Amino acid sequence: MKRIIFIISLVIFFTIPKLSSAQDTQIRGFADFLTTYANDKASFAFDEQDLFITSVLSDKISFLGESVFKFNPSSATDFSVSVERLIIYYNLHGNNNLVLGKVHTPINYWNVTYHHGRVFYPTIERPLLFAADIIPLHTVGVGVNGHDLGNIKFGYDLFIGNGLGSTEILDNDKYKSVTAAVHIIPVDKLRLGVSWYNDVVSKGANVEGKIMNWKVNQNLFTASVSRFGKKFEVLAESTAGINHTDTTGSKTTFASYIYAGYRIKDKLVPYIRFDDLHYQNGEIFYNKNNSTSIVAGFRYEINYLAVIKLEYQYQHSELLKNTNKVIAQFAIGF
Amino acid sequence: MHTYKILKLLPGNKFLLVVCMLLLSTASKSQQQALVAIGNVSGAPGDMQLSELKAVFMGEKQRWKNGDRILIALMKTNTPVGQTTSARIYDMNANELNKFWLALVFQGKAQAPKFFNSVSELADFVAQNPGAIGILDKPVSVSDIKFINIDGQKTF
Repeated sequence: MKRIIFIISLVIFFTIPKLSSAQDTQIRGFADFLTTYANDKASFAFDEQDLFITSVLSDKISFLGESVFKFNPSSATDFSVSVERLIIYYNLHGNNNLVLGKVHTPINYWNVTYHHGRVFYPTIERPLLFAADIIPLHTVGVGVNGHDLGNIKFGYDLFIGNGLGSTEILDNDKYKSVTAAVHIIPVDKLRLGVSWYNDVVSKGANVEGKIMNWKVNQNLFTASVSRFGKKFEVLAESTAGINHTDTTGSKTTFASYIYAGYRIKDKLVPYIRFDDLHYQNGEIFYNKNNSTSIVAGFRYEINYLAVIKLEYQYQHSELLKNTNKVIAQFAIGF
Repeated sequence: MHTYKILKLLPGNKFLLVVCMLLLSTASKSQQQALVAIGNVSGAPGDMQLSELKAVFMGEKQRWKNGDRILIALMKTNTPVGQTTSARIYDMNANELNKFWLALVFQGKAQAPKFFNSVSELADFVAQNPGAIGILDKPVSVSDIKFINIDGQKTF
């Protein structure tokens, strides 16, 4: 017994310093300040504070965490903390990794490129499809991914998760969500991607505060094209959401946006974005509210850690009054 | 005599011409400056194509053939070598390079490079870390590093 303890002690003695010296942890973050003029009044706001941590634990294992602190009127302290990403990567071979944890569902280009880093956003706010809950923003589960494989820089994600209606620690039903995404970069900076998401949402599940009265089989298909060149920037993405219930059959919703910007000076980029949400009559999973919006503005990049945007937003929707807003944002990274 | 005094003596058109030539020579200096690639004795090969080197420094290739994780060592972007590296390897200015890496790390696609103030610090880091690769402006005498020929040349 003493010999076993001695051996374990030796292993710990020689292993821990090795792990400690290998560890490389960095903490970075993002925040932004907003001024909005709408309905004949101006308002000031800070949006959210985003902290992200990366850590290299060994030659094969690394960690990424992203937590957001933001205003929440229903909280006793007026603020809430949400864990947006908590990922352990295990390198399998080359650029191929095993991924464990909570991820931004790799079905949408914007969702997996900008996350909560407002300083990276080409516009002030995310496309309309985010607020409309068209896609599941997060998934807790396990998967594999790879990138920059071969001459066309092929990349892929395959992720299996708890699915809609689940909590962070428990699946609400026996069905798992599946996300499969592939992309290529055939020429410099041009990225083409397609993805698919499938989940079965059980009757009685709570999805974004809405209790499902039906079992829903959901399939999402997304295609995206992006190119952020030295001068011209374009990003277009479209999602077809097909929700099937036994009572309504299959109903299809299309959610799309297209963004374009042109760098007229080293730091100045005027831009425009058009969004469209179109729901099929009889849709019951989403809150049917056909909407369009247009934003036009400019981005002034002081440097890579400080960006000012000024934007006009117009939104027309089926259920709500048309809105006109002028927003200024000062986004930083630190 | 100071350059400013010389310029003041020149007539208007010539003054503009000299200013343009000075600007052009400064801009092209970073493109012309020779660079040297160094690697730890473990991991990096002794010969690489420039396209391969770029793929490594862009985070597109993250493991050497022996399985070692690639550790990228760069001079800070406010140093002359750092600026030349940004222009030659990345086709980016300093700001674009910093944004590129912050975005890549944030997306979970790569580990951040190590940035150094001095060539000797960079060379020491490469020497001490298996899999490390770095860019310098001239050869240095540090043990445990190897010089990597790029397209068959010692400098590129």
